[in-house]
Amino acid sequence: MDCIRKRVNDEIERGWIGSNLECPYHPCHFWGQDCTFCYCPFYPCEDEDLGCSTRGKNGKPVWNCSDCLLIHRKEVGSYVMSEIRSRGIADARDPRMKDLFQDAKKRFWRMGKALMVVGATSDAGKSVTVAAICRILHRRGYLVAPFKSQNMSLNSKVTRNGSEIAMIQTLQSQAAGLKNPDHHMNPILLKPKGDDMSQVVVCGKPFADYRVKEYYDEFVPGPGIRIVKEHVDFMRRRYDFVVMEGAGSPAEINIYDKDIANMKAAEMADAAVVLVVNVEWGGSFAYALGTVELIPEKDRRRIKGIILNNVRGSTDSIRQGAKRLEELAGVPVIGVIPHVEVSLPSEDSEALRGVGGKGSGRYKVGVVRFPRIANFTDLDPLFMEDASVVYVQSPEDLDGVDAVILPGTKNTVADYKWMCAAGISDGLKALRGKVPILGICGGYRMMGSVMDDSVGMESGAAGIYEGLGFFDNRTVFSEYKKTVANREATLLRGDGGEVTGYELHMGQTEVGEEPLFRIERMFGDPWNEGSVKEDEKLFGTYLHGCFDLPAFRRYFLSFVGEGASVSGKEGEKSYKELLEDSLDALADAFEKGLDMDRLMGILEAGE
Amino acid sequence: MRVLVLGTSSAAGKTTLCAMLCRHYAREGMDPVPFKASNLSLNSYATKDGGEIGMGQAFQAWSAGLEPETDMNPVLLKPSGNGIIQAVVNGRPFQDYGRGRELDREAAMAEAVKAYGRLSAKHGFVICEGSGSPAELNLMDRDMANTGLMDRTDVPAILVGDIERGGVFAAIYGTWRIMPDRLKPRLKGFVINRFRGDGSILKPGIDRIEELTGMKCLGVLPYLSLRFPEEDSYSSSEGRLEGTTVREAFLRNIDEFTDAAERSGFDFDALTRIARGRSSSRRHPHGADLGVLRDCRIHGHRLSADYEDVGVGKDAA
Repeated sequence: MDCIRKRVNDEIERGWIGSNLECPYHPCHFWGQDCTFCYCPFYPCEDEDLGCSTRGKNGKPVWNCSDCLLIHRKEVGSYVMSEIRSRGIADARDPRMKDLFQDAKKRFWRMGKALMVVGATSDAGKSVTVAAICRILHRRGYLVAPFKSQNMSLNSKVTRNGSEIAMIQTLQSQAAGLKNPDHHMNPILLKPKGDDMSQVVVCGKPFADYRVKEYYDEFVPGPGIRIVKEHVDFMRRRYDFVVMEGAGSPAEINIYDKDIANMKAAEMADAAVVLVVNVEWGGSFAYALGTVELIPEKDRRRIKGIILNNVRGSTDSIRQGAKRLEELAGVPVIGVIPHVEVSLPSEDSEALRGVGGKGSGRYKVGVVRFPRIANFTDLDPLFMEDASVVYVQSPEDLDGVDAVILPGTKNTVADYKWMCAAGISDGLKALRGKVPILGICGGYRMMGSVMDDSVGMESGAAGIYEGLGFFDNRTVFSEYKKTVANREATLLRGDGGEVTGYELHMGQTEVGEEPLFRIERMFGDPWNEGSVKEDEKLFGTYLHGCFDLPAFRRYFLSFVGEGASVSGKEGEKSYKELLEDSLDALADAFEKGLDMDRLMGILEAGE
Repeated sequence: MRVLVLGTSSAAGKTTLCAMLCRHYAREGMDPVPFKASNLSLNSYATKDGGEIGMGQAFQAWSAGLEPETDMNPVLLKPSGNGIIQAVVNGRPFQDYGRGRELDREAAMAEAVKAYGRLSAKHGFVICEGSGSPAELNLMDRDMANTGLMDRTDVPAILVGDIERGGVFAAIYGTWRIMPDRLKPRLKGFVINRFRGDGSILKPGIDRIEELTGMKCLGVLPYLSLRFPEEDSYSSSEGRLEGTTVREAFLRNIDEFTDAAERSGFDFDALTRIARGRSSSRRHPHGADLGVLRDCRIHGHRLSADYEDVGVGKDAA
């Protein structure tokens, strides 16, 4: 603690105010943060609104305020520094510091306001709406964060602390200008393994597997409600605005009382609600009116606006209908948003429904469309090359492909059986050596010789399965333990190069092949990962996101035909920069299509 | 007998549901025939006499054991790019419209109603398909296949909603709410399509919708991974398609779907009663009596003299 005080005293003596763009860690919290106090002059404030007491390594209680952003607000940094000066404080231990803290908190801290975005259907555009509002508010200088109490998705990512949360919340967090997405943004993640069973991830860690009925009967009324309340409160204490995302439709009246993702979460956060409807599918006015009216009276009053999203062509005709909708529903239409063509990852496989492929590049990459396909956003960076994707659901879909990818899946065994029954496995064996084939995570395991699930952990039914036999690898599912980690790696083949990614899997694989990557570690020895047989054009890795940086995707595509000359369509932009541009374009479209005064009014008023 | 299947959105499953009904009633020997007053589609089929109709109606005709004919889809609207749409009426090019030029909707609709009358006279059961959603507040006054047909004939209607994308109760209830009051009494039932899992979980929701609207739930149809003809760009293209010809493949799939519907306890008897116009005399929640349908063969509001001359609707029951 004395060390922190000494640093603070240095900061006071220096008296410098502003953002430190020179710092190699900038921004360590959010874009636009104030760095006047890299170390908080009030530590430990012991204010429960801003931090909590935890146990340190030695078992002694330690004040933990690592998520507090108060001192990094622009107005707070300069206020505190100038007050320190004018009050003549020279030492962090000065008792007047406590008064100054109280003054600063009183002046600048308040419980944040929450806005809940619900959708009339899945894929209504809730998550892009949340991302757009986060970016708009961030650009207007607010501290804002996304939140989704319960997300059912097979696309997840790993946070800095090694927690697993839904991918889309990490994207929204990026939209909000935040550096470190964390598990508070998505405290409950449901990962479906079959039609009726899901793995429930709580605070980023696997909690247990539940059947749908047990989840609603036991988990929701038990720990579920408490978890949502705790985390949404946590977020409101740290941000001006928490933009919450609902799940599915809030008007599923058959399970209304057990739904902790929509109106109940809004109630817990005292949030105003806006309803988003996807106009593209037709019936949007009916969906909007039906949703508003089926929600019970006591919750309906929270609904402050309707957004008609994804309008193709002219918005004039829709606006006429919108007037009539306002009269019928008694809720104003606060936005008509045109269809925006942006490259953003999609949240769930509903977005893949009825989609035969994506992109228009020259090289056709066949992606096996597993029934429980997971982390398929891994493939998005491929569109930065001259590549397009076709989804493979039958052996005929493999005709004429230049490369094949076996993506991740939540249920390796069940989806492997599906792939064999569909005849795709035989198709892949016929393509071996002719076109490059890459397996990622679940797909990588399938390329091995054996998948040993003798305890029935993965599929529910015990068994040992023979894989495609492309690699001499053996995967064993034994204990209920998940590998969750971000990785930095080096490509060991081709021209080498940097690769980033993350591992998310149950079970472990014994590898009998040459490695593809070397995992680099800040402390400790590196180790090898993945499998490669260049002469047979076979590649496999556990690293989701391995295409994000150009090195590996270009190496992989170089095995197409006689060796494709691959040059990025988007120049040398990284995938992350492309996402930034897309988020800005999205926010621009929403800012234009939304009645912003009205939205700001709704945000400020809360419920 | 006649019924109109309305969807709560595009790709709700209208085409397939109509095909299934054609199949089922053909199996029962009740001589069903498909009909879609107007179809916006690029996928068309050439009839034996060289006419052009929507692919969906050809598929439904095969399901009914019939040869496709132009009366089954008297108006086909084919987007030809640059904002121009070609209107095909009675199987022949009728008019190009768009970019400032209006379709002669009344003339096209009059032909559609005549075709409907001819099919009603020849067949035992006209199974009509709606188009898109009937509740587009901005388009309702231009509607042909949904409220357009209902206003010009006495056809009773049922709604089909897709549960896969969520919000199906809101979709069904909202569609019913937006339908003009004069037509609400003719919405008799609803179907929930593409359901996976244990159907008992839906019961409280179904009960509530029945109570609010007076419509009866005719069934919850299972999700099947089958491939059917594409109506428009929003249709799902997933699923199996096996067989030597497209026709055979579709028929095999529709047999499988019909079997599944019959096994699922779909209430065909109730649908038959609706189609005969003998609905229960249950009081409508808003006071309208559902039993009066047989007496209101022609619905006055927007019925012009032209249509009265056509006289269609009178023999429809």
